[in-house]
Amino acid sequence: MNIIIGLINGMITSATPILLAALGGSLTYYAGIFNIAMEGMMLGGAFFGMLGSYYFHSWPMGILFAILGAILMALIFILFAVVLKMDEFITGIGLNLFSVGATTYMLRQIFKVKGAFSSPEIVPIPKIDIPWIKDIPVVGEIISGQNLIVYLTLLATIVVSYLVFKTRFGLRLRAAGYNRTSLDTSGVSANRIRVWSLILCGVLCGLAGSFLSLGYVTLFSEGMSAGRGWISLAAVILVSGNPTGIALISLLFGFTDGLGLFMQRSLPSQFTSMVPYVATLIALFVYSVRLKKKQTI
Amino acid sequence: MADIIEMDRIVKIFPPSLVALDAVSVKFAKGEIHAIVGENGAGKSTLMKILYGMQPADSGEMVYNGKKVKFSDPGEAILAGIGMVHQEIMLIPQYTVWENVVLGYEPVKFGGRLDVKKARELVKQKIDEFGFNLNADAKVEDISVAARQKVEILKLLFRNVSVLIMDEPTSVLTPQEIPQLFGELKRLRDNGHTILFISHHLEEVLELSDRITVLRKGKKVGTIKTAEATKAGLAQMMVGREVIFDSIRKNQTAGAVLFQTTALNYTDPDKRPRLIDVNIQVRAGEIVGVAGVEGNGQLELVNLIMGLIEPTSGSIKAVGEDITRKPILEKRKRVAFVPQDRANMGASISANIAENVIMTHHRLDQRFTRWAGRILDFKQAASFTDEVRRKFDIQMSSGEAVFKSLSGGNQQKVILGRELLLEAPFILLDQPTRGLDVGSIEYVHQRIIDMRAQKRGILMISADLEELFRLTDRIVVMHKGRVVADLVTEKTNVTEVGYLMLEGAAYEA
Ligand SMILES: Nc1ncnc2c1ncn2[C@@H]1O[C@H](COP(=O)(O)OP(=O)(O)O)[C@@H](O)[C@H]1O
Ligand SMILES: [Mg+2]
Repeated sequence: MNIIIGLINGMITSATPILLAALGGSLTYYAGIFNIAMEGMMLGGAFFGMLGSYYFHSWPMGILFAILGAILMALIFILFAVVLKMDEFITGIGLNLFSVGATTYMLRQIFKVKGAFSSPEIVPIPKIDIPWIKDIPVVGEIISGQNLIVYLTLLATIVVSYLVFKTRFGLRLRAAGYNRTSLDTSGVSANRIRVWSLILCGVLCGLAGSFLSLGYVTLFSEGMSAGRGWISLAAVILVSGNPTGIALISLLFGFTDGLGLFMQRSLPSQFTSMVPYVATLIALFVYSVRLKKKQTI
Repeated sequence: MADIIEMDRIVKIFPPSLVALDAVSVKFAKGEIHAIVGENGAGKSTLMKILYGMQPADSGEMVYNGKKVKFSDPGEAILAGIGMVHQEIMLIPQYTVWENVVLGYEPVKFGGRLDVKKARELVKQKIDEFGFNLNADAKVEDISVAARQKVEILKLLFRNVSVLIMDEPTSVLTPQEIPQLFGELKRLRDNGHTILFISHHLEEVLELSDRITVLRKGKKVGTIKTAEATKAGLAQMMVGREVIFDSIRKNQTAGAVLFQTTALNYTDPDKRPRLIDVNIQVRAGEIVGVAGVEGNGQLELVNLIMGLIEPTSGSIKAVGEDITRKPILEKRKRVAFVPQDRANMGASISANIAENVIMTHHRLDQRFTRWAGRILDFKQAASFTDEVRRKFDIQMSSGEAVFKSLSGGNQQKVILGRELLLEAPFILLDQPTRGLDVGSIEYVHQRIIDMRAQKRGILMISADLEELFRLTDRIVVMHKGRVVADLVTEKTNVTEVGYLMLEGAAYEA
């Protein structure tokens, strides 16, 4: 029983940052932006989140800084890809590399450490106990006692889904992706919609980053996003941006991640940590085969 | 009448050196229908795009409602009350009709939530008000080109603009739908709207407009009152020479059967029969026209011939060979094809002109490739492009230019040139002159007649009865998926064909 509860909680923890970033990616996907910069935005968020929490001894400030840091990254993307009309792919690659370099540099300059920085001064984001529910056996151990960000993620999934499919913004957002001239000639600037989608993506990636450095663990280490942004990109592409689909894919990934940890008992960790990435590759492969079949019909 | 818009010495140059508008000055009066006519490439669309804020002018001024204005994007123009229906349809295919209509003007409830119920109701109301035959819930990708155009017009009416710019709105409507549109436009004018109407069809312009401005090669030729204009006079102003409108066909006996469909049936995926026992024959040296209201099976017929869909039963024969399920290259050896959808089927619009010109030729004709078909010979492509340009009188900067930079008429000429220069004995033409100006139509018609003289067999689908009567030897009429009549052109008349198109039954005089 404990193993299963552990696996499920592991799944939720691993899925959270991926899901958040992928929801951001979903918004830019619908806006027709080839946005691969979630990795960089998330890493920026993780660093600034740690910084905010450390200096102000406050986790809300940590979250705020994480969001601002990721938005900063998004603004750089906007400057190059939207304002200066540079290639989105190149901009994304550049931003991801810049993010690794900049956070590593700042870490070493500000804290004079290499690799990772942790300190009791960094206040983690709290776990939330839900009264009544927490006392229910098994269910209570899963539904209650999760990190605040986990609950926010659940909320974000619903909000993004609502935003994309039910609101005026959503109608315009998808229109920007389907046919931008049509949106422009309807009197709505497609570029403005694209900018907003990127800023919202920044907010979500910032939350994801804060979970990495203030939730999952309470420290910042160089390159700690560790490919999660790329996996979130795979999730977005796999389900063509659909938020519910993204949530399922993220949970699946989280599950394989947890499984990997579990398998460490019998296999070397170098192999077990490959599991989620292999799962992603398999999913992408299955998807592309299915797509090909559909096209030949 | 007071002028609502004054455009003063507008200049537009497309780099490097194409002068699209050369100091054009024109005034539009409030509450008039003002037609703008001119050949393809004359600069009509460009002039209107400048007014609408889609393109900046290089110099010149605009006065609107007595104030100097300059719209930097269409949004500003719409807010000011100027709306435009474009020549190229600009809708979102994945959206429904009502979503397209309300986009940018959406009714919302609390929290930015789309008020779906209200939006659909408003759109349905507009549809009823203007008597458009549209389903507000249909997806735009599933409806015909004509219906899409109606959605565009509806979208504008929904925005309550006071100046309507229409870039060839009738080019995609069927003959039956045009009077209805004209009625609406006239009613709008009588309500005080100003309508700027671009068209190639001189009859339409003469029937609808109050005044006419003629452009030729980027220059204004003049503005005249419609009451004082004649078709021949206008044509001469547009083209700069006299244009002949009469039939140009010489008598000639048709040869062997080149093309034949036998008991062709097609039922669509929703189990609706679209084509029922269609038998059509085309002989060498013969032009057969297909008349019919749009949506009566013409599209399916074309798609079946080209292999885009498979028949439920029946066969298609071309040049003595059953091509019903032959691969496309085999079909293309026998069938030249000019589709009605230039941008999606006729060409790759982001490829350059030369690449578009040699498409298919590069597979069928050895001279365009080397190394057993692996390498394209661009020198040959360039000289062939030049040949097509000369033979079909195409206005273009160079073969390297991207296809979509051509005006609509020139795009059509490129496609026609490519197809008619194929050696294929049978030619399938789907609305070959839709959207072309009188000069170009005359030209294209002449080329089609040439093909007939060369003993090729031609099947031509057209919504323009005048065109069918001018060119064809026989006319088959389609109604609800059936061929309801197969008539010798000389022994029938427009009334009879029109009646068959609408009623499907034999006409009793
Ligand atoms: N975006 C563009 N880039 C380059 N050339 C263009 C562009 N738009 C139009 N042109 C050229 O400007 C001329 C006028 O085009 P247009 O206004 O579309 O003519 P019309 O609407 O009268 O057929 C044509 O020669 C056309 O090829
Ligand atoms: Mg035009």
